[in-house]
Amino acid sequence: MLSDVITPDLFAAAVRIATPIALAAIGGTICERSGVVNIALEGIMLTGAFFGTAVVLATGSPWLGVLMAVVAGVVVSAIHAAGSINLRMDQIVSGTAINLLALGVTGFLMELWYGHPGTTEPIPLLPPVFNFPTPAGGALAEVWRWVDTVFLSYTPIVYMAIIIAIVAQWAVYRTRWGLRLRALGEHPRAVDTAGVSVYRGRWVAVLMSGALAGLAGANLSIEQVGVFQENFTNGRGFIALAANIFGRWTPIGSYLASLLFGFADALQIKLQPFRDVVNIPPQFFMMLPYVLTVIVLAGVMGRAVGPAAVGEPYEKG
Amino acid sequence: MTESKERLPAQRTWMVVLQKVGTPIASVALAIIVGSLIMWVSGYDPMAAYAALFQGAFGSPKAIGETILRATPLILTGLAVGYGFRAGLFNIGAEGQLFMGGLMAAWLGVEMAGQPWGVTVPAIIVASALAGAAWAFIPAILKARVGAHEVITTMMFSYIARYLVSWLVAGPFKAPGPTPASPMLGLSAQLPRIQDLFSESTLAALPFLGLGRAHTGIVLALLAAVGVWFILKYTTLGYENRAVGFNLGASETAGISVQRTIVKALCISGALAGLAGAVEVVGLHHRIFDQFSAGLGFTGIAVALLAKNNPFGIIPAALLFGALSAGSGTMQLVAGVPQKIILIIQALVIFFVGAEQIVLWFVTRRQKEAISGAE
Repeated sequence: MLSDVITPDLFAAAVRIATPIALAAIGGTICERSGVVNIALEGIMLTGAFFGTAVVLATGSPWLGVLMAVVAGVVVSAIHAAGSINLRMDQIVSGTAINLLALGVTGFLMELWYGHPGTTEPIPLLPPVFNFPTPAGGALAEVWRWVDTVFLSYTPIVYMAIIIAIVAQWAVYRTRWGLRLRALGEHPRAVDTAGVSVYRGRWVAVLMSGALAGLAGANLSIEQVGVFQENFTNGRGFIALAANIFGRWTPIGSYLASLLFGFADALQIKLQPFRDVVNIPPQFFMMLPYVLTVIVLAGVMGRAVGPAAVGEPYEKG
Repeated sequence: MTESKERLPAQRTWMVVLQKVGTPIASVALAIIVGSLIMWVSGYDPMAAYAALFQGAFGSPKAIGETILRATPLILTGLAVGYGFRAGLFNIGAEGQLFMGGLMAAWLGVEMAGQPWGVTVPAIIVASALAGAAWAFIPAILKARVGAHEVITTMMFSYIARYLVSWLVAGPFKAPGPTPASPMLGLSAQLPRIQDLFSESTLAALPFLGLGRAHTGIVLALLAAVGVWFILKYTTLGYENRAVGFNLGASETAGISVQRTIVKALCISGALAGLAGAVEVVGLHHRIFDQFSAGLGFTGIAVALLAKNNPFGIIPAALLFGALSAGSGTMQLVAGVPQKIILIIQALVIFFVGAEQIVLWFVTRRQKEAISGAE
């Protein structure tokens, strides 16, 4: 039974499932590092997925869809930026409004453009980047099967997410921009005094998180599911926020934490065929990611400390 | 100059009133205007849409009843979210506590079949409030002890609750038949409709009492509003709740146990949301199923924000969203506008109420115009 569960597919599935969560989590990291909480990630992801799908349906080009998803993510996050930075709204309230708006707008346009609620027509998926032939037989072939499935079987955005995690880690900790970003979230007054605009710094961070969440939406619709379905982000944006906390507000940490969620989810999918043997209803498996999120948060909180000024609107002196 | 000085006190009260009532009203107005723009751009006729919406929400006693029906759980979820807000807590997962309250109501209703109404219904009400409170308890403890953000934990718990209900109504708690739903409750476990309280001759004489599906759960919701108002205004519990929400550090210094207050606040919030689930089951559906709540917990957030967490303000705010929900069906039927526009309007209301600055700018500008116009 174990060899049926621990297969290369399990790990590959974990990486695939982790990708949208990781992208949103890295967005959340950048955003919170600048002092802005972004619970709108959920809605931004949904909007990105919808407009991405719509463009693929209209043009037939998955890449244009990905681009559109990112643009849509940036546009939606601009609302959050304007609200939480310029209008000094409660950031959670602004995020809640955007999440509802995303549900409303995607549902409304779904009916307006496609004439029905629910699910869109299927779209062409982005194919995997590499496509190596499978060698026949032998121990080496088995090794190759593992390497090929676990490292070389993915679609483009999956690799992008890994690259983004590494680049973001470098940018946050090794560049001037990163130093300022972290200062914005710890002590915005000091940044302001140094003559750097707090508003602009936070705007850039929020828009970047929007782009990443939009890309996460593209991954979901254009690489994984192949359709848009109303509300099919299913809390991933909130899980991403937990992954960001578990990853201690670092991009690579966020990625690895998302991988943990991805692995748990992949494992539960893999175990589903066995549920009749042990007689556990499927809903219990589906609860797992959410239960895991709560456990992880409960375990890590108190020891993980976020940016000092996170959530506080900044008033220019 | 002297003239404006004389006007000052009156103007100040005017501003206070404006801030309390003006911002919410202006926010709703702005949201409706933006909503009509969206309809217009999408090729619909906004006037026809709103006319149909109004017709569907207020056009007949039955329509008014539908508005009351939809407002009933929203008063309770609005109170739930608002009570949390007063302690500085964002119970975004009221939906999950509502599911657990509804589940408890349906289960107890089935279990207590045969018992008299006077025992069953009060027992259901108390038990579902407790179920809602229990579902909020773990996020509350986690918030108080380790600081795990309630926005994430209550949200996760609401997904867990939905899967739990979805399993139960398809499995152990399923009524025989093709639909995944719990068994129907008997009359002894139902809240009666308002129109059923009157004899047919009374209804014939007073047709405005024919409120259709509106049920007596509204009385429970109104009582809950009075109860929350009383707690907040006259009890130590409510005082501590407000103190922690207003200034956490100062409350701690003053000797209030912040941790305990947080746990109590989220549990009371959960209890109110649980009650909302109960009235939906006992008053409207008479059973529970997967989709028995169309985001009532989330609309509660809009209700609470619009009412600025004032327990009595929550009643008109809930009636407004109840009317939008009741009228949206007619709107889609008559004007062809997808009902999802209501979600957009709701989101805009939240945004505008939250962004008081935009609205205040509109209001004060109009006020300035009014003053300069008067001179």
